[in-house]
Amino acid sequence: MPRIFLDGDAIEAQLEDSVAAALLRAGVTTFTRSIKYHRPRGPFCFAGSCGQCLMRIDGVPSLPACRVQAAEGMRCVRQNGPLGVENDLFRAADFLFPEGLDHHHLLVRSRLLGRVALEVARRLAGLGELPGEARSAVRGELRTVKLAIVGGGPAGLSAARMAAAGTLLIERERRVGGAPLLFGDTINADAGRAEVLLQAECVGLYANDTSLPGNGLLAVRHRDRLSAVIADRVIVATGGVSQPLPFPGVDRPGVYAARGLLALSARVGVKLAVVGEGAEAQRCAAALSRRGYEIAIVPGVPRRALGNPVKAVDTASGERIRCDAVAIAIPPAPLHELASSVGAQAHFDGAGFPVETDADGRTSVPWLFAAGTVARKDAARSGGTAGSAACR
Amino acid sequence: MPLSEKAILCACEDVSVHDVEGAIAHGYADIESLKRYTGLGTGPCQGKSCEVGAMRICAGRNAVPPAAQVPFRARPPLAPTTIAAYAGLPPEVTGARHPAGGLRPTWGKGAHPLQPHAALPERVDVVIIGGGIMGLALAWNLAGLRAGRVLVLERGYLCEGASGRNGGGVRAQWTTPTLIELAKESIAFMARFAQELGINVWLRRGGYLFLAHDDETLRRIEYGAELQKRHGLSTRVITPGEASEIVPQLDPSKFVAASWNPDDGVVFPWPFLWGYADGARRRGAQVETFTRATGIEVSEGRVRAVHTDRGRVAADRVVVAAGAWSPTVARLAGVQLPNVPYRHEIVSSEPLKPFLGPLVTMLGTGLYFSQSMRGEIVGGMGDPEEDPGLNQTSSLRFLARYGRALADLMPQLGAVKLLRQWAGCYDVTPDHSPVLGETPGVAGLLQMSGFVGHGFMMAPAVARRMAEWMGGAPDEIFERYNVRRFAEGRLIQETFIIG
Repeated sequence: MPRIFLDGDAIEAQLEDSVAAALLRAGVTTFTRSIKYHRPRGPFCFAGSCGQCLMRIDGVPSLPACRVQAAEGMRCVRQNGPLGVENDLFRAADFLFPEGLDHHHLLVRSRLLGRVALEVARRLAGLGELPGEARSAVRGELRTVKLAIVGGGPAGLSAARMAAAGTLLIERERRVGGAPLLFGDTINADAGRAEVLLQAECVGLYANDTSLPGNGLLAVRHRDRLSAVIADRVIVATGGVSQPLPFPGVDRPGVYAARGLLALSARVGVKLAVVGEGAEAQRCAAALSRRGYEIAIVPGVPRRALGNPVKAVDTASGERIRCDAVAIAIPPAPLHELASSVGAQAHFDGAGFPVETDADGRTSVPWLFAAGTVARKDAARSGGTAGSAACR
Repeated sequence: MPLSEKAILCACEDVSVHDVEGAIAHGYADIESLKRYTGLGTGPCQGKSCEVGAMRICAGRNAVPPAAQVPFRARPPLAPTTIAAYAGLPPEVTGARHPAGGLRPTWGKGAHPLQPHAALPERVDVVIIGGGIMGLALAWNLAGLRAGRVLVLERGYLCEGASGRNGGGVRAQWTTPTLIELAKESIAFMARFAQELGINVWLRRGGYLFLAHDDETLRRIEYGAELQKRHGLSTRVITPGEASEIVPQLDPSKFVAASWNPDDGVVFPWPFLWGYADGARRRGAQVETFTRATGIEVSEGRVRAVHTDRGRVAADRVVVAAGAWSPTVARLAGVQLPNVPYRHEIVSSEPLKPFLGPLVTMLGTGLYFSQSMRGEIVGGMGDPEEDPGLNQTSSLRFLARYGRALADLMPQLGAVKLLRQWAGCYDVTPDHSPVLGETPGVAGLLQMSGFVGHGFMMAPAVARRMAEWMGGAPDEIFERYNVRRFAEGRLIQETFIIG
């Protein structure tokens, strides 16, 4: 079993653990202090999306502990708590400014006090310290494909099965399948004729400005290496991202995304208060219960979460529910950024910004398609349609 | 110490529901302004966990119409990615360039959904086209001189143009006396901006370090330092060893000397615009966002009115202060400006604890970077292959070039992750000096453009002098920098251009 070190103390991890899982297993819930008020923070999404579990790992600042595999001898250091993250004295900022600190209008009357504020703010700014060591360029490669599909969930796989040869499927995780894997659902993992690139994350999509032919230019990260992929057509099937709900205490350690807990190799106590309504909450509650949790559903938006880590929630009706942790189970919001960053239109639908597509799955950018949750469409059907249309 | 009851919406930047409500009440309800005013969505997660919640609040209060319920512009990288990774991108990415993209308007033809419904005045004394730093600072100064009714037209949100897209560097190290004096006065004003305009711009005087990579550039910085000393600046030329004492992470083998002025600095650009806009309004000027100038009426050699997508406004004086859009605006009056727009790209890193004092720039490559008050390394780099044109899209090519240059000069930054890239347009004149004053042939059409990426740091002084000159005070710069100089061959060459 790998042994990692947190702020110098040894912690036993399980083989399948991420750093976050290993720490939670060991009862560590405060992973960092927040940037402004030094509030305690711990992991939320377990998908590298939320930025609440950033930690210095082996000399590199602000890595998401939920996405780093625990490995023997790994040195993890918590950030932004100069006198110790557990008892950070700067948390006074949260206590002294309960209504918030308006930095725009702080001490504007006096030039002298303004300069003091500047010096203090400057010293408190930032999260991680500079990396310990230099890192030289890691050479990436260039690929040209007819079609690039980003996301190997049900929509991306459906698209791949309908696509012609010369298709590349880019999947962030170690295996294709996407969200259904969290719920133990059976999936059709067949990717047709597409070449599947696993543990590869598309971090940028651009209009191709190189001299090589092709419409889209993708920056694809595989570990430390960044490669360029030029594609005639691109299908974005990036799915969704877990959302918190803004009620007091939601940012405290012990409040997790329900889907995140399903992806986590460790368990966070026994009794879970599941916040949410409708199909998503039911589905998450059932899956979490299969993982051995006792579930209490919290309807509506809670009034507050209490404790650090959170050990209770007050419901909208005033009832107090005691728990070991809270799971937020509202439908994931479409992960539209890749599509919208190149100009695809997306509009608010009350729960997110789905990318707008026509009957073929085409976005407002002619060479760009979107399918599945990101377009708020049925995954299998919209994926297949986009896969066929993109190869016409 | 118990935890407070804040309902945190953006955990990365500690933005609460209360903060969002405050911004909406202040008039910053559109998602781009909301993001900038509160800081939500600018942290490591780049808005993935907060923009839906923010829009839910906006929509719930009917703060914005459904057509404007769009996400804020997503900025690559979509996940934090290291400088070393970008530096290693294959050479084809930075090879021969094929023009792509172009300007992606935030709104198409027709009125912006956020356009105010109130009628514009039928007549004002001065219309300023462009609600960037120049136009807003001019409005504040004019209103302070009681120069009649002043109307500023901004086609987007405040901060949408270059004034909201720059790196915030402010310096007095220039190679023409006028720019040195304008910058000196402007920086002095920035130091008291909070007291004058009631909002913090966080001027941090960490200095500017110009690196010279060869002997020719060394001679340029020596000339500049001499000139600047005569104007009372404390600029001096230092050795690579001395520069390494100021910034220990620099590789001293990459440059032969440096020009160092400890009094230059960086500001936080956005509150500058909000401060001037609020200040101008308090003094009675009108600032209208999401309102586009569609025509300039000229008859008998005089400007008569500005046509907008909200109707006609008569005015005897119209100021073109539209930055890189100034040639487009001037053409509405049939005037050809020699200014040419060029895209400049810029990127922000993850927030790091303070380690970098000055803004560092390499004169040969146009690489520059500094550490913001929030701890991010904010920097950019010029591209000799950039095509002229209005273009605010981002490119992978830029990140590859910037990553290589930065990792080469400061290898310890290799494992630092980039968070967010964007682009803005420089308004470039043939001699890299501004265009100011009357327009030959069109009385009442005044120019305030051509600042080649440094208007931001000159605006306080330029606007003060322009307002006084418009009030009748003689001022030679409005003659010397008149657009006639290009036809007459009286160029005023400025050589310390970055980016």
